[in-house]
Amino acid sequence: MKKTYRSWSAALLVLTMSIGLVACGEDNSTSSKSEAGDGTIKLKVYAQHFDDDTIKPFDYAVEELKKKMPNVEIELDPAVQDGGQKLKTYAATGNMPDIYLADWSVLQTFAKSKNVEVLDNYDTTAEFKKNLNPGVESRLVAPDNHVYAYPETGIEFQMIYYNKSIFEKVGIKTPLKTIDQMADAAKKLKAAGYVPMSIFAKEKWITTAFYNGLVTREQPHGFGALDQKGVIALPKAFVTAAQQMKQLQRAGLFDANATNTNYDQASSLFYQGKAAMFVNGQWEIYSSQEKLGDQVDWMYWPAKDEATYENSKYFIDGSGSPQGYAVSPSSKNKETAVKVAAFLATKSAEYRYTQLGSPIVSQKVDKPMASNVPAMMQRVVKELLPNAQEYAQLLSNTKIQNTINDNTQNLMVDNFSEQDFVNNLNSTLEKEN
Amino acid sequence: MNKYLGNKSALALFLLPALILYSVILIYPVLQTVLRSFYDWDGLSTLTFSGLSNYRELFSDPLLATSLKNGLIFAIVLAVFQIGLGTLLALICADPRTRGRKILKTSYFIPVVLSVTVVCQLWIAIYDPTNGLINRLFDLLNIPYQQNWLSSPTASIIAIAFVNAWQFMGYQFALLYAGVKSVPEDYFEAATIDGCSKWRAHWHVTLPLMRETYKFCFIIAITSGIGAFVQMLIMTNGGPGTTNYTMTFMIYRYAFMESNYGYACAVSVLLVLISLLATVVINKLFDRGQTA
Repeated sequence: MKKTYRSWSAALLVLTMSIGLVACGEDNSTSSKSEAGDGTIKLKVYAQHFDDDTIKPFDYAVEELKKKMPNVEIELDPAVQDGGQKLKTYAATGNMPDIYLADWSVLQTFAKSKNVEVLDNYDTTAEFKKNLNPGVESRLVAPDNHVYAYPETGIEFQMIYYNKSIFEKVGIKTPLKTIDQMADAAKKLKAAGYVPMSIFAKEKWITTAFYNGLVTREQPHGFGALDQKGVIALPKAFVTAAQQMKQLQRAGLFDANATNTNYDQASSLFYQGKAAMFVNGQWEIYSSQEKLGDQVDWMYWPAKDEATYENSKYFIDGSGSPQGYAVSPSSKNKETAVKVAAFLATKSAEYRYTQLGSPIVSQKVDKPMASNVPAMMQRVVKELLPNAQEYAQLLSNTKIQNTINDNTQNLMVDNFSEQDFVNNLNSTLEKEN
Repeated sequence: MNKYLGNKSALALFLLPALILYSVILIYPVLQTVLRSFYDWDGLSTLTFSGLSNYRELFSDPLLATSLKNGLIFAIVLAVFQIGLGTLLALICADPRTRGRKILKTSYFIPVVLSVTVVCQLWIAIYDPTNGLINRLFDLLNIPYQQNWLSSPTASIIAIAFVNAWQFMGYQFALLYAGVKSVPEDYFEAATIDGCSKWRAHWHVTLPLMRETYKFCFIIAITSGIGAFVQMLIMTNGGPGTTNYTMTFMIYRYAFMESNYGYACAVSVLLVLISLLATVVINKLFDRGQTA
C-alpha cells in the first residue's frame, strides 16, 4: 500500500508541476522583442490590416520605414474589431505589443492602468504637433491634455448619401434642407416603393451619429454639451433633435427592420437602387462612387427651417476623439517605438492623401493629392472643409454615451416616444452630472 | 476492492486530481468573482475596495428590472414549449404503434446539432417584417397580425425565446423520451386493462413516475432562460435599446463595453444566486409533491 501511495504521490506531483510549467511558460513568439545581435530592432505592431483601406496605407508606411530606419523590423499583429478586447487581454497578461492602434475608449482605460506611454514630452510629439492639420488638435490631444497616440486620420464625420436618379424619378427636389422636406420625401419615396433611407441601426453608433447630425443644426458642439457638470436635464437642442428624429421615423424614413439591419444589408439596399438615401461616414465616399458612379451625391443635415439650415450647414457631425498609434511603456525599445509610431501615422496619412485622395488626414502633406479623387470627395475638399465652422465635441462619459446609443436606437421603432427618450436621458444626466 | 474502499487515505488520493481540477476551473473563478464584486475595478488597474456599492447600484439599475423580466419570460417560454411539446413528442415516439418513430426521433434532434448562429440567421429571415415567412403567411391567410417581430418591445423577447426553445427542444425531448422508456410498461398496461384511455393512463401513470426527469428538465429550462445570451446577441444585439437585455447581457455590457468589471462581477454573483434559488425551489416543489 505504501508503495502504491508513493507512486501516486509522485505521479501527482509531476502532473501538478507540468501544469504549472505549461501555465507559467512565456510564449516567445508573441512577446516584445529586444534588439537582435545584428543591431536590428524588432517591433511588434498591432494595427488594422484587413481591407484595401487599411492594408495599403499600413504597407506603404512600413515600406517607407525600411528606407528611413533600415534597422527596424516590423512584426504585424493584425487588429480585430472587437471593441479592444484583444488589446485588453494583452494588457492583462503583460503581453503588450510595442506599438498598437487604439481608440479613445481603450486609451482611457490604458491611461488609468499605465499601459500606454504618455507622449507629451517627446520631441517626436512636438514635431507631430507642428505638422498637424489645422482644426484636428482634438484628435491628438486628449481631453485631459495628454498625448497618448499619433493619429493618421483627421476628424471623420457622418453624411447623408442619396441616389440622384431615384430622387429625380420620384420628383423630389434636392438638397433636402428641412426636416419637413425630408419627411415629405420619405412619404413619396415609400409610396414609390423605395426604402427612403437605409441605415444599419443594428449598430447603435450610427443611430447616435444620425441624431448628432440633427443636434448639430442648433448646437454645434454636439454631445460635448452633455458632459458638463450641472447639466442634469437634456438641453433644448437635444429635445428638438429627438422630436425631429421621431417625426422622420413616423414619416417612414427608416426601414421597418432598421434595428436588425447590419452594414452589409443596409449598404446593399442602397447600392442595388432599392434605397434612396444612406447614412454613413465620409469614408463611404469611395465605395459609393465606385458602385453608383455619378448617380450618388451627399447632402448636408437638414434643420428645422431653411434659415437654420443655411446658418448651420458647416457645423460638422463628427468629433475629434483621440485615436491612433500608441506605444506600450513596457516596450524594450520605447524610444524607437515612439519614433516609429509617429512615422507610421504620418506615412499612412501621406498614402491616404496622395493615393486615395482623402483630405481627412492628421498631418500636412507636401505632396500632390491623387488625381482620381471622387467627385464627392472633391466637394468635401472644395466646399465643406474650407468652410467648416465647428466640429462636434467629444463626449467622454461612457454611461451618458451608452444611454444615448440605446435610446437613439429606440427612436427607430414604434412604441417609443420622444418623451421616453428625454426621460431616460434626464435620468442618466441627473446621476452622472 | 473493499480493502481500498475502506481506506480513506487511498480514497482521498484518488479523488484529489478531480478535486484539484474542479477547484481550479470552477470554485476558484467563482470565489474570485465574488471577491471582485466588492471592488471598483476596470479589469486592468489596481482594485479599489468599494464594499457593497456595486450591489447598491445594481439594485437601482433599471437594466436589472428589464433583465429579470426578460429572463423570466425566456424561462417560461422554454419550460412551456420544450417540456410541454417535448413530453407530447416523447409519448408519441414511445408508442410502438407510431410509424416512422426512428425518423421522427432523429428529426426532432437535428436542430440541437446545428450552430446557434445558423439557427439565428434562419429565424432572422423568418421574422423579417417585410419579406419574412411568418408575416407573408399571415398576409396570405388574411390574418391581420403582421408584426415587426424582432423590434417590438413586447413580442421580440418571446420571438427570440422561441428560437432557443425550438432549437433545444430535441435535447429535452431526448431526456423525456428516456424518462418515458424507463417507466415499466406493466404499469401502463395495468391502467389500460382497468379501463383508462391511453392519454389518461399517461397522465396518471407515466408522467408521475417521471418526476426526477421533469425535475432535471425544469432546472435546465429555467436556468437556461435566466442566463440566456447568445440568441439576443446575434438576433438583435440586445436591442432595440435595451429591450432584449438579460442578466448575462448586462455582464457583457458592463465588463466589455464599459470596462466596469467589478460591477459586472456583482451582476454575475446575483445571476448565480438566482439560478441556485431557482434550482432549490424546483427541487423543493418536486420533493414536496413526492412526500405528499
